[in-house]
Amino acid sequence: MPSWQDFQPFIVTGLALGGVYALSGVGLVVLYRATGVVYLAFGAVGAMGALIAWSVTNAHVQAWVGWLACLLFSGAVTLGYGMLFGPALSKRDPLVKATATLGLLLVLFGLMDLLWTTSGGQSRAITLPTDNSGFIIGQIQVTWTQVIGLAAGFAITAVTGAFLRYTKLGTAMRAMANDREITATLGVPVRRVEAAAWLGCGLLAGLAGLLLADMVALDATTLTFLVISALAAALIGRLRSITLTLAAAIVIGLVQNLLVPIPSLSNYNDMTPFVLAATALLVLSRRHVIARSREET
Amino acid sequence: MLDTADARTGGRRQFRLRRPGPGTLVRAAVVTGLLLILLFAAPALLSAYYVDSMTQVAVYAMLAIGLGLLVGRVGLVSLGQIAVFAIGAWVTARLLFATSQPYPLVLLEAGASTMAVGTLVGLPALRLRGLYLALITLMLAGAFSIVLATTNFPNGGHGFLGYNGSSVHIPPIRRPSIATTDPAYFRYAVAVAALMFALVYAHIRTRPGRAWIAIRQSEPAAIAAGINTTMYKLWAFALASFITGVAGGIYAGAVHFLYSIDFPAQDSIILLAVVLMGGVYSMWGAIVAALLLQLLPALLNDWGVSADWLTILFGVGVLQVLTTAPAGLADQVPKDLARLGRLILRSTGPRHRQGVSEHDRG
Repeated sequence: MPSWQDFQPFIVTGLALGGVYALSGVGLVVLYRATGVVYLAFGAVGAMGALIAWSVTNAHVQAWVGWLACLLFSGAVTLGYGMLFGPALSKRDPLVKATATLGLLLVLFGLMDLLWTTSGGQSRAITLPTDNSGFIIGQIQVTWTQVIGLAAGFAITAVTGAFLRYTKLGTAMRAMANDREITATLGVPVRRVEAAAWLGCGLLAGLAGLLLADMVALDATTLTFLVISALAAALIGRLRSITLTLAAAIVIGLVQNLLVPIPSLSNYNDMTPFVLAATALLVLSRRHVIARSREET
Repeated sequence: MLDTADARTGGRRQFRLRRPGPGTLVRAAVVTGLLLILLFAAPALLSAYYVDSMTQVAVYAMLAIGLGLLVGRVGLVSLGQIAVFAIGAWVTARLLFATSQPYPLVLLEAGASTMAVGTLVGLPALRLRGLYLALITLMLAGAFSIVLATTNFPNGGHGFLGYNGSSVHIPPIRRPSIATTDPAYFRYAVAVAALMFALVYAHIRTRPGRAWIAIRQSEPAAIAAGINTTMYKLWAFALASFITGVAGGIYAGAVHFLYSIDFPAQDSIILLAVVLMGGVYSMWGAIVAALLLQLLPALLNDWGVSADWLTILFGVGVLQVLTTAPAGLADQVPKDLARLGRLILRSTGPRHRQGVSEHDRG
């Protein structure tokens, strides 16, 4: 059994990763509540944004231009998809809506493989200026990027919570989550509210893509499927509660990283989100919490 | 609608009353003809490269019919079919290295074990519906792919896992003694695939098929009609898993060497996309899907086009299917051809119109 010393650095990486999962999970929950779409292309959009940021930075332009390009791309693609396919699929089953986002995932995945080819073994990396500076707690080195990751998770959750509670647009989103038809009857501009949700989710995808590309790896496949970890957190939050999503994301990040120093389990640490989400789904189904959702109508 | 009532009461009698019309005979003749061409003419006409990819088409046709059965007939979406496929291949390889059983027996055992796994997974998962079922299969497949990456495929080693840790002097996975060459193995794969299609056909034309349609239309209505929905859903899971496991067994013999990297979890997503594109309401859809998945990449490779374009095409295709053409290519292409034919007829003379409008109604 490894000693406490071995675990310490992984607490930091776990918390940082958990923070990013949290902000992704919150994006997924808000979009699902407002539009009924489980946005499975979240990771692919962020991955392509990160690759664009890498290309821009490599062209010897200021790095912040690259980050801005990443956010703009992710926001634009997500908004564009939402505007194009959202209305067409709005009356369909949530399953169909989610499957359609798999279509977007495949398109982006193919494009990434085509434009940023992985053959030839060249590796890419995004380094943020906050990677190299930081501070030391006890004996653990903490970088500012890791602080940003964790802080962003908490901040986004808090801001989103306040936004949903206190603003007009947020109230409209909550109303749409309850009943789209009635909300429309009350004179809420449904399409515009949905567009706002899509745009917000897209921007979060870009942010998550950048941070994960820095913390994990700048690789299309890895980043595309890291969405599953965020989705796992969102599912534990029943695609409903952003506070629960935040807590679940932090736990997933921590458990996943704390398993690394344990030799017999280190190969299996990436299973954490899958196992936790599958368990959560089964437990929730036992309590019939998710049986009565909007798909019943 | 009709099927809901059928499954309980007059289903069997109605089925017996339905006489095989000329359409059925023509269809049977077409299928037999195609099968004969595939079995006897194709291996002789095709180059070794295309015989190889046609063997893969046979394997993927089985995968596609399994998933198509779940999606199209019962309305269950699984995003973990590649994991089941990998289990089938794993069991086949393990048994072939450990024993000297005949190949068909090993295939049956592989199918039986994936059937057991599918049922075990299906039992708790069936409490979930729609989106949540799809997501839990995605989660389980993701977890499985990590286990597989650690355990690896058997390569002639000892112990339960049968993995000897080295990558040199690996014995190839054997093929059935009657089909050691590539063309012979191709025939073998086509024959097994045809058997699996026949198995599915036998199901969808009888009681389970009608029960599945009733469940797809409306589960409460199916329950009200006295259908044991849990059993029939599990049955569909078991049948689809069995077919997928057998496909894994055929795949193991086709490639001789198995690597966990060949079964990435994202392939399940591509498989679902292509099966939806091919069409889930017709058995031809599975064949279209298999051709799209295996023959098209081989052709593109031959022409020097990047396979990434295919991924993009599949993505666009699934969006198109979901928004405008829910029955997929297998349904859309004949319809479009018929429409084209009608357009041509209409332009040649007005006297055809009567016949055309009658055809429209039918």
